[in-house]
Amino acid sequence: MSDTHTASRREDLRLITGRGRYASDWNLPGQLHAAFLRSDRAHAEIVSVNAAPALERPGVVAVFTGADAIAAGYTRFPLMANFTNRKGASLLKPERPVLAHGKVRFVGEAVALVVAESALAAHDALDAIEIEYRELSASVHVDDALASSASQLHVDVPGNLSLEWEAGDDAAVAKAFEQAAHVTRIKIGTTRVVASPMEPRSYVVSYDAAAASYDVYTSAQGISLLREQIATLTGVPAEKLRLHLRDVGGSFGQRSGVYPEHAALMIATKKLGRPVKWVSTRSEGFLSDAHGRAIQMSGELALDHDGRFLAARYEFTCDMGAYLTPGGPSGHLRNVAKCMTGVYRTPALYGAWKVVFTNAAPISAYRGAGRPDIAYVVERLVDKAASELKIDRAELRRRNFIPLDAFPYKSPTGGVYELSDFAGCLDKALPAADWAGFERRREAARKAGKLRGIGLAVVIEGTGAGQYPQDQVALEFDAQGKLSIYTTTLSGGQGHETTFAAVVAQTLGVAPEAVTLRESVLGKEIIGNNTGGSRALVATGSVCKLAAQKLIERARPLAAEALELEPSQLEYGEGAFRSRDCEKVIGLLDLAQKHISKNPHPLNLIAEGAFGSTFPNGCHIAEVEIDPDTGVTEIVSYVAVDDCGNVINHSIVEGQVHGGVTQGAGQVFGEHAVYDRDSGQLLTGSFSDYYMPRAGLIREIHLSEHPVPSKLNVLGAKGVGESGCTASLPTLANATMDALRPLGIQDLDMPFTPSKVWHAIQAAKVK
Amino acid sequence: MTKIELTVNSAKHTREVEDRTLLVDLLRDHLGLTGTHIGCDTSQCGCCTVHVNGRAIKSCTMLAVQARGAQIVTIEGMAKDGRLHPVQQAFTDCHGLQCGFCTPGMIMAVAALLNDNPHPSDAEIYHGLEGNLCRCTGYINIIKAVKQSAGVLRNG
Repeated sequence: MSDTHTASRREDLRLITGRGRYASDWNLPGQLHAAFLRSDRAHAEIVSVNAAPALERPGVVAVFTGADAIAAGYTRFPLMANFTNRKGASLLKPERPVLAHGKVRFVGEAVALVVAESALAAHDALDAIEIEYRELSASVHVDDALASSASQLHVDVPGNLSLEWEAGDDAAVAKAFEQAAHVTRIKIGTTRVVASPMEPRSYVVSYDAAAASYDVYTSAQGISLLREQIATLTGVPAEKLRLHLRDVGGSFGQRSGVYPEHAALMIATKKLGRPVKWVSTRSEGFLSDAHGRAIQMSGELALDHDGRFLAARYEFTCDMGAYLTPGGPSGHLRNVAKCMTGVYRTPALYGAWKVVFTNAAPISAYRGAGRPDIAYVVERLVDKAASELKIDRAELRRRNFIPLDAFPYKSPTGGVYELSDFAGCLDKALPAADWAGFERRREAARKAGKLRGIGLAVVIEGTGAGQYPQDQVALEFDAQGKLSIYTTTLSGGQGHETTFAAVVAQTLGVAPEAVTLRESVLGKEIIGNNTGGSRALVATGSVCKLAAQKLIERARPLAAEALELEPSQLEYGEGAFRSRDCEKVIGLLDLAQKHISKNPHPLNLIAEGAFGSTFPNGCHIAEVEIDPDTGVTEIVSYVAVDDCGNVINHSIVEGQVHGGVTQGAGQVFGEHAVYDRDSGQLLTGSFSDYYMPRAGLIREIHLSEHPVPSKLNVLGAKGVGESGCTASLPTLANATMDALRPLGIQDLDMPFTPSKVWHAIQAAKVK
Repeated sequence: MTKIELTVNSAKHTREVEDRTLLVDLLRDHLGLTGTHIGCDTSQCGCCTVHVNGRAIKSCTMLAVQARGAQIVTIEGMAKDGRLHPVQQAFTDCHGLQCGFCTPGMIMAVAALLNDNPHPSDAEIYHGLEGNLCRCTGYINIIKAVKQSAGVLRNG
């Protein structure tokens, strides 16, 4: 695929002129407005609910409570993948009424729904609802939830433990550890963070009583999965759920699944016979949007005398919050296990998981979904081993990389890696970062009273295999002869309208403007996956190419007929069929135009393909400088060498890396959803309290590509949506630790806030 | 309810609003100008930034009645005679937007920043954009867009 480096995306014009249509921009005639009363207790029995006073408030039409959720039967959330351990036990998945019933289990859980003539009236009435709670002790930390004294969240989940799971060979690992010359150990974790796409959640739902169907206007990551999940939760057949999806103000995994509010609004609109609109405030978003990460990890690495890795053992304690989200466990179990070996040939590997319920917001996928977590512990463990053994960090990695001749490489815990050139990425990154000259810069910084550090990480991740076994793409000509591509994906900023159209246009040899992408359009009977797991271009983009190739073959007989030749006498190129002598020519689009009166258009088609997991990888190097007087860490430089396979659009790839790296930087230096350990109240419930990356956090990223085209799909693409985040977590943490290690600080963990870093420096001075 | 008159994107409007109605709700719900977005409820994100009498204002932090008689420009009013404003052009040229939700507020903030300071230093740009959050771009290409449009506006 040739490059189409373009700075200007197809979707940009409407978005920069205020003509985008996001979920809260939808309004329906006669609509009512909803507001949710949310629990202000982390863990309590609901003794009584009295909604009557709220009904007296001006403009209030109705109030719905947990009793309505139970009556509707909306309590069983879907699970995208279940997991079974070696003893045959599966994830315990407690019920979750879409409005709390009997108990509340986290601060922010929806308890009642007020519907009124205006949004202000609905919000005004919330405080009139009288709820009597009987408080229970809350566990917002996994250690507290697993303690024998902990209150049990769910009656059917003993010890708040949904599942104990394992992967790898425990015995082989134990044996290898006995023979080790050195063992390095680390205990760290990824903080609980809030995805915080800039567009808050918003749903408008209406009910057509005659057709017994619902119209849902919202933003999502694709039409198929959300529709299926709403159907599973509510029992309403998928064909009776009409999803209207347009522009999406960022997703990052947080919009991948069904939420209680979807179903609660369905109860309301069916009962009231009018559309009901709900727009989340940011404050309630912090409380009730799915959170991400939150895995406590311990790692042990066994090495021989030469610094070769013999075995690694990990423990993962996964804080899932109060309930399982549809996609949460897949990220924390499967994605972690798949790349648990990192980029290293470690012969023996074992991991043990605990999947734990806590009195906190449920956890779901967040950019990387387990991939950044495992990269974080593996790469920090390797850095610590290098420090303990006094081996250069790059050299220790090089000694243990999976070599080029070992691919396809079957990891001891599942993933089968496709060809990757880790040493090649490292070799490009080291000079780009002037790794060799770092000690001079450290010394110059020291003279200026600053602590300077450099850190690197070499990472790999497995992209999403997909929830549906295949992806379909439809190509259709409309009445004007314009060509549209239909997919089940939905861009939340990834620029699909530009790249997918480029794939089809390049394959056909026509101008990109001749092709328009229409994603997740209601009524298109195609199946396929949503956007997520860095797989949209890899899989759906590949099927776009197959669809274009199929279109050429579908058109060939019609072209032959038009040119009065045999199909075999035609050659196709640059958008046209030609006779061998080039005497006779007909353009594909002209040919399509000739047939526009036919319905359906004879060139309309559906193509399909099954493209699974790919393995983007790369090497990132960051340099930081800490002011010991304030504890503030400044990112001085950042180098990223990425293998995301073949690139369709370099600008968009750069943008994805910029965004991913910066989200990782946000988590490393400040983002943290903090619950008070006693009361269970969320202490970081707004952008005033929750650290968000701002302009200037990372000033420049020196990007290079090191593409090893994938052989697993027809584009040769590997995906890029999450790799920036996966790499930047360990890279920035390793750089910060490198700055601090000379003071004797070994085990500091994210977030490296000024306060935490300053205190660590002070404590080290005392020693 | 209070009756107010104001000018939005060169068009005069008269509306009856509740005293507590925010300017952003007037623009979005009463005037249908949905290009101005609401991204938070604590005046942190800047998605709702518009120009009121030539200054960048977070329209979630101003009552509609306070805008009585004001000249307001929203993102819908930035392109003139079919030509994009140089800041709009720079955002697309530099790939300074991904999902686009923060973009209208960013563009309005940047246009006002460059109006006040045609030669901003890097530090002045970071400071000027402190009240505008973007979750997609890492800001790197937004900064490029600020610099490109600063050059165009100075020369144009």
